[in-house]
Amino acid sequence: MSTPHITPNANVTLQASSVSKSFVSGRVQSTVLQNLTLDVRGSELTLISGPSGCGKSTLLAILSGLQPADGGSVRALGQELSGLSINDLEYFRLQHTGFVFQGFNLFPALTALEQVELPLSYMGLPKGMARKRAVESLEEVGLGSRMRLRPTELSGGEKQRVAIARALAKQPELLFADEPTSALDSDNGQIIIDILHRIARNHGTTVLCVSHDPRLVGHADRVLAMEDGRILSDHVPPAPSKAPEAKEPSA
Amino acid sequence: MVALARKTLVYEWRRFLPAILAVGFASLLQLLQAALVLGIFGSASVYITGSSADLWAGYPGTQSVNLGRPINEDIAMRLRMDPDVTKVEPFRWVDADWRGPRDTGGVSVFVSGIDSRPDGMMFSHALPPALRARLNEPGAVIVDKADLDSLGVNIGDTAAINGQRVRVVGVSSGLRALGGVNIVSSLETARVLDIDPVDAGMMTYFVAKLRDPSKARMVARRLNGSAAFGPYNVWTAKEFARQSQIYWMLDTGAGAGVLFLAGIVFLVGAIITSQTLIAAVIGSIREYATLNALGVGRGALRKVIMEQAFWVGALGMICSVVVGIVLLIVARNRSVPMELHPFTAAICLALSMALAIVSGLAAMRILRRADPASLLR
Repeated sequence: MSTPHITPNANVTLQASSVSKSFVSGRVQSTVLQNLTLDVRGSELTLISGPSGCGKSTLLAILSGLQPADGGSVRALGQELSGLSINDLEYFRLQHTGFVFQGFNLFPALTALEQVELPLSYMGLPKGMARKRAVESLEEVGLGSRMRLRPTELSGGEKQRVAIARALAKQPELLFADEPTSALDSDNGQIIIDILHRIARNHGTTVLCVSHDPRLVGHADRVLAMEDGRILSDHVPPAPSKAPEAKEPSA
Repeated sequence: MVALARKTLVYEWRRFLPAILAVGFASLLQLLQAALVLGIFGSASVYITGSSADLWAGYPGTQSVNLGRPINEDIAMRLRMDPDVTKVEPFRWVDADWRGPRDTGGVSVFVSGIDSRPDGMMFSHALPPALRARLNEPGAVIVDKADLDSLGVNIGDTAAINGQRVRVVGVSSGLRALGGVNIVSSLETARVLDIDPVDAGMMTYFVAKLRDPSKARMVARRLNGSAAFGPYNVWTAKEFARQSQIYWMLDTGAGAGVLFLAGIVFLVGAIITSQTLIAAVIGSIREYATLNALGVGRGALRKVIMEQAFWVGALGMICSVVVGIVLLIVARNRSVPMELHPFTAAICLALSMALAIVSGLAAMRILRRADPASLLR
């Protein structure tokens, strides 16, 4: 059922061509990505799944401009990322990207609203505008009534929703999520993946999610299975009528 | 702008408390040390600072007021001849040995023979006219009340200086000197107590008052120009006081000691403060990395840390100033020689802020570990 298709599409927002990456630890050089080529489209939730150590996080880091590739090129929103300076990459991320991590990484001292406002203030938005966007984003993830609370007063699922709101409020064209549900129970994981899916649909955002959580497969618009630094399959999963019993190549 | 630095400082105050206390203690130690040193070594020049003279004429090359040598009487004439000088007064310094009524052994004392007239310049700040008048009695001496114990006397007691009988007719404060006990007498009494035949009839200093004290430097320069009246040197009171203090500081090695201690205090304070700030940065490293992933630049993150360092410094300084003022008041009430000028205090506080800033810079380096790629697993 995995039908690799590389259809030329005007909606492509992220492109990796012949990307490779290897790490050196001691005298051992291990290749993580080999000559990898990939297109990711907007308005879709693309899921990269695979066993740990398969290179999916490295791929995410390279596609999002967090890490440079050793070879090949990465184009995001029509802009070539390889060769950009650290400052330029930071500016690109500030303007265009959002991130959601497995750990929620919220500042203990700030309320949910302040967590979301913080990056906006660095984007140079006026105070009123930042406040408005932060409130809207928190309402969108269903935390309208809990935005005055600090992380210690929120549950894990709520914290992750704050983290999503923090990324969403920037109104990014690209949203990257790394194992966003791994630290959550199934109900909360379900809520998170639904929110991510909705963001892709409603905002036209390119959502690229890395996870080995099989529960997510049914909710993605497209699933890329990775192993040993290569993409093994690229398919559209069946509609999420019920919890899929996916035969994932995951560990 | 969300005030991340301040909100974190308030919310996680326990985390930052060691740094605030370290800066506060370092600052307090510097302040008290400076006050103590200035207080103790300030008393080396009590002869000058306790008097109202504008100029001091003494033996050439005299390094400290307690090292004066006899000078020629004619020098008083030279001073009087200057049109800006309104009054000249002799000051006789006698190095002497004290035997008290109680068993205190020999005590090395300095006898200050001064003009006992009510308008005399010497020790005019420490001796009110009525007390001063008592010096007219032959053999009368006045001592600082803090010295009564070491001299083994009370008011009204008699004792012997260089084998001559003296009587303590009163006590005052602000007469305490460094190196030996300062004993004030009239010029006449001092002449009797001076048993060194070489000094016979010679004064140690002549002090002068000027029509316009602000011209002191200019007049001193003018007076130093001629050598026709024998060897002498003229200093402004301020110059001579400072010279005496510096002499004592260097002579006793206290200057080097103070700098050494200041260095140690700075180092220890900086280590504690930087370690605390580093721990605070490490504690939030994943959050910083997340902000960096979202595009908040390293420069902006560094600013947050420096702002925290600044607040730690400011809070530490406030603590030290409050405690310092209390301790200075206590010290003053117990006649501990402590003196703090605004300028010195400002230097001490600036050092403490520098300590906080240096610690902030050290903590800033840890930000390099805030690599957003490390958040991906």
